[in-house]
Amino acid sequence: MGVNAKQIQKINYFNKVSEDLCSEIAKVVKQKKCSPKTTLLKEGETGDTMLLIFQGQVEVSKNMMVKTSSGFTMSTKSIIRLETTDPSPANKPITEPTVSVVKAPAFGIGEFSLVLDDAKRTSHVTAMTDIDYGIIKLEDFSNIVDKHPSIGGSVYFEVAKSAVNNLATATQDISNLTQAFFFALAK
Amino acid sequence: MDTNKKAETKSSSMDDIDKKIHANQVLYDQLHQSLVDEIVSKDDKDQKKEKSRKPDVSSTRNFLLKLSDYYQSNELFRYALWGFVAVFFSTTILTIIEYPLFSSSVKGDVGDGFMFGGDEPNWVDTFFHTFWWAVVTFTTVGYGDVSPETHLGKFLTIIIMILNLGIVTMLTGAVSSVLVAARLKGDDTLDETKFYGHLIIAGWNPAVQSALRLIEANEDSASVVILINETEEEIIKRAVSGFDRLDITHLSENFTQEGVLKKAFIEECGTFMIVPDESGLLPNEKPDEDKTVLTALTAKSILEDIQVVAYILDEEYISHLHRANVNEIVFPDEHIPHMLAKHVTDPGVPQLFDELITQEKQDKGIQVVSIPKGLVGLTHNKVSAYYKFKHKWLLVGYAIKKAGFSLEEQMGESGSPIIRDMIKEQLDGAGIKLSSDEHVIVEINPDDEYIIDGKHKALVLR
Repeated sequence: MGVNAKQIQKINYFNKVSEDLCSEIAKVVKQKKCSPKTTLLKEGETGDTMLLIFQGQVEVSKNMMVKTSSGFTMSTKSIIRLETTDPSPANKPITEPTVSVVKAPAFGIGEFSLVLDDAKRTSHVTAMTDIDYGIIKLEDFSNIVDKHPSIGGSVYFEVAKSAVNNLATATQDISNLTQAFFFALAK
Repeated sequence: MDTNKKAETKSSSMDDIDKKIHANQVLYDQLHQSLVDEIVSKDDKDQKKEKSRKPDVSSTRNFLLKLSDYYQSNELFRYALWGFVAVFFSTTILTIIEYPLFSSSVKGDVGDGFMFGGDEPNWVDTFFHTFWWAVVTFTTVGYGDVSPETHLGKFLTIIIMILNLGIVTMLTGAVSSVLVAARLKGDDTLDETKFYGHLIIAGWNPAVQSALRLIEANEDSASVVILINETEEEIIKRAVSGFDRLDITHLSENFTQEGVLKKAFIEECGTFMIVPDESGLLPNEKPDEDKTVLTALTAKSILEDIQVVAYILDEEYISHLHRANVNEIVFPDEHIPHMLAKHVTDPGVPQLFDELITQEKQDKGIQVVSIPKGLVGLTHNKVSAYYKFKHKWLLVGYAIKKAGFSLEEQMGESGSPIIRDMIKEQLDGAGIKLSSDEHVIVEINPDDEYIIDGKHKALVLR
């Protein structure tokens, strides 16, 4: 039993890809399962795969310098949690979320790997529940795109859209941080 | 031909101007008739609201609270109360223990005079007699007309007398300390009811008297003033003797202390002004401006919202005052170079300033007036016309109360929530407030279409 086209289509990057083509993609997706606490992606590693989360909840976190009572230390700070809704996670997350939980039918992570040869992972992704996921390799995906160029347009468009959105947020973050910085300096 | 045309256009443009003036007058009439009444009634309502602002807690509760406050704060009352309790307590005990003795001696002492129990003394007579003994003993007068006779009574009396030694000593001490304090402070208790929105001036120097004279002249400004400084009473009295409108109270205490500021009802004040304090300085000594910064910090720690105006002589302190969140800083030296230069570049301008700023008459010079509510939301040219036609004042610009810059507001919902939260958390942790204080900015001669909101006040030249 493998991954079917319907599962692929639930992921926003593949929304607009026809079911036929999704089943093409499904053929190259390697289905996997993992238990909670498994690290799916590690920040800073390069990877040529994109993960398709079909079921479960994952936490996205980043290494950051934080101030504690004993001074500055590097620590892993969670940023967001992603949870599938179709189907929803099979069991409860191991820890209560301290950050917002974004819900979607299913989602893809590490999507930049579809565009870049050796994209660096920008954050850690850790399983919070049992996860049902699939792995798709850049090479396999490129082959499909070569065969069916129509896939490329819509998928790359979605990837570009998320990249642009991220960039806009990042710009705003920089502006917020700059203001906070001046604010702190002025005191 | 050409000249004719020119003349025509000139006259037509004159017509235009006339029309415009007429239009302004029409505008004035409209504003005057419809708005002014509304405005006046609105303002009246507002004032009534403010007056009825006083809290109405039930009077018994209030009384008990006041009594307990009084007990806490008044040393004399405290000891006197305990003294009375001790006398009463020992009377009761001795009445019980030595009843036969005191009872029989009542008759001998009073003879056939008035007694509660008729011919035979009853317990009231005995109790009163014992009370008499207790007071005689407590005041160390000791007539010796009655004294306990049983061993138990004597033993208790010993204890009472020893206790009494402490109580009398403390009571005496309290009486003298209260007397001394009263002499030192003069009339110390300020009438709470009148202090609301008042002006407090901490520190004394000759500029204060001039400032008060200018405040006196403007009838719209606060009339209740508290001066806090340690300059001699005589000097202050002489300096403030000429004021009719202002109600000036002098607190001769150290204004850097929190308790003193609270005594001046700083939480209720309209403006808290700190000036370089020359109290007790020799003519060549410089005021200690550290005190200004310290006082500003104290005031802001009592209540962040207090409007603090600091007058500073040394530029070096400006940054400290900014850090203390002082609302306005007056630093006279910064004007001097401009005034000097303008005498060369634009002769007349410094004279204009002199004329405007130093004008002491109440109805002349530059003033800030509140804008009637009915004008809020209108454009600058309309408001300007209102003042021009209604009062014949020239509207120069606006003083605007700007809420401080708020980082939180500025960030809003932009960027990622995680970053925003992190910023708040970290700044909070470092004790940095996310907003700066309210302060006044001026907008001079804005565009005609400039919209006036409720935070504007008009700067008019009368």
